[in-house]
Amino acid sequence: MALFQRFEAAIDAGIGRRRLGYALLALIIVYLLWFPNDTSQSNYAKTVFISGFFYAIMASSWALLAGIAGQFSFGHMAFMGIGAYVAGLVARDGLAFLTAESISSVGAIVIGTVVAGLVGLVIGMLLLRLRAAYLALFTIAFSELFRIVMLTEYDYTGGSNGLSLRPLLQIADVETARQVEYYLMFALLIVCLLAMYWVANSQVGLFLRAMREDEDAASALGVNVVRYKILVFVFTSMIVGLAGAIFYSDIGSERIIPEQLEVLQMSLIIAYAVIGGMESLIGAAAGAFISRYLLEATREVVITYPFGLTTADGSNAFVWEPGAWRYALFGFVMVLTLRFMRNGLLYPFITWFSGRDLVMKETVAKRESDEDHAARQGADDE
Amino acid sequence: MSEINLELNSIVMRFGGNQAVDHVSFRIVKPELIGMIGPNGAGKTTLTNVMSGMLKPTNGTIYLNGRRIDGHPPYDVVRAGLGRTFQITRALGRMTVLENMLVPGLAIRPRANRAEIEARAHEILDLLTIDHLTNELSRALSGGQRKLLELGRLLMLDPAVIILDEPFAGVHPRLQETIYSYIHRVHEDGKAIILISHNMGAVFELSQRLLVLNNGALIADGAPQAVKNDPAVIEAYLGEDE
Repeated sequence: MALFQRFEAAIDAGIGRRRLGYALLALIIVYLLWFPNDTSQSNYAKTVFISGFFYAIMASSWALLAGIAGQFSFGHMAFMGIGAYVAGLVARDGLAFLTAESISSVGAIVIGTVVAGLVGLVIGMLLLRLRAAYLALFTIAFSELFRIVMLTEYDYTGGSNGLSLRPLLQIADVETARQVEYYLMFALLIVCLLAMYWVANSQVGLFLRAMREDEDAASALGVNVVRYKILVFVFTSMIVGLAGAIFYSDIGSERIIPEQLEVLQMSLIIAYAVIGGMESLIGAAAGAFISRYLLEATREVVITYPFGLTTADGSNAFVWEPGAWRYALFGFVMVLTLRFMRNGLLYPFITWFSGRDLVMKETVAKRESDEDHAARQGADDE
Repeated sequence: MSEINLELNSIVMRFGGNQAVDHVSFRIVKPELIGMIGPNGAGKTTLTNVMSGMLKPTNGTIYLNGRRIDGHPPYDVVRAGLGRTFQITRALGRMTVLENMLVPGLAIRPRANRAEIEARAHEILDLLTIDHLTNELSRALSGGQRKLLELGRLLMLDPAVIILDEPFAGVHPRLQETIYSYIHRVHEDGKAIILISHNMGAVFELSQRLLVLNNGALIADGAPQAVKNDPAVIEAYLGEDE
């Protein structure tokens, strides 16, 4: 512990925590930019990273909606699905006076995003008077409704086989294609995170947090809760609509299937955000990325015995295929997180790098001296 | 001094069969310090909720400076110039004291210079003697400090009419003095204050006018001394003789 305090003091005296944090972030970004050029990595590893970026967008936008604005929605996957399905349908069947041929894949993605936003607007309006558990129940119902319609209308949507979207990229070489897809998804994550950070740190973000803390009090303080509630639904719906439409345009996956819209999948998004820290956008994004990576990496656990030891049957390593047990462990981690680190496993790092814990220490010290003061004054009175 | 003209016309608030507010009418046209008293269940808080837009009255109208505000959402009522505190304080817990102050400041003046609003917030926190807690999360504040924070947030809104719902409840005597001086200062600023309190001493000491509610009806409206000797008021407080 003493060693750590010396390290802390050295950092505070030297480059400062915030700068160290930015440096670390820059390193991570540089690594992620370099990663697809690493020839030792398989295409499969790149695919895992691509889906990691996608789920990072999902989890961080859910963190904005639930963690920052306090709207505990289960409809996030459904909005993603709306973006993807609408993009797929208009690219195949056209839209009103537009023929399918006249709609490019980019156009289809834009339409999907806009429709997700419009549905977000309607749902936001319907949710105005609903809070907490009622909001969660309503959005589960909406989400299931959407999934069942997609499953049932198989003539249009392909039912449980899913719907293929028009591919966004036409690159013959698999290797190059993977690389471009990787950079595209990574860029989308960065853009989405920047946009969400801009909102969260603006005046709007302040009002959203006020709404999360106490909607009535916020309203009594002049915050137009109706406007901001709708705004946050439209904004996050468009982000996930866009992410879904792009991801399923043969970037991360070639087809959207209704199974993706199940409550279980939505719960996973929530779990990623909770484990990373649902009040921090970057925390939730990192939580999702790391969780996805670990869930993939633990498909088969191989532990080589040390010192060249072998077992009686001649194997030199312990092999475990956990299968669904990975998810059970994952659930266990989430339970522990909620019980012991409500702000997520990454929260201590984020507060440390931002120096927020210093502010806390300072104010606690002030309060204690204040209490001493009050106690002394109280003693004088008697 | 801002314009003041608050007019309640025959306000009725019914919850099912229970008439919580029964045809209440009164006007406030100058920066008065008005006490509102009444036994528990008289309808004081319900009337406050109706006036501040948290409840839509079953019947009746409310005008503030020529604008009709009954049934409008709270954020509209606040902009029209009527602010309130809550009987049970509602600090925005996981936001700092400063952020608690910035929310109302920026909400009603979204295009204002943030630095100016922050300066104003610091000034008010200083006045309320909680400036040392500026960066503290408001959930870490004591009950009394939260009361002060609520009063501070009201000043950020700068309303013409202020309703203080039980500002002295559960507050240490020293903080009570701070609240006293706050009330005087705000009043001198030219604002009308409606003070709801069970602390009769404070109400009689501070008020220039007294409104008495009983069973949802306004049974007296006048100078404190006159109200004190009103037989209807005495009856409401002491109960009818059997």
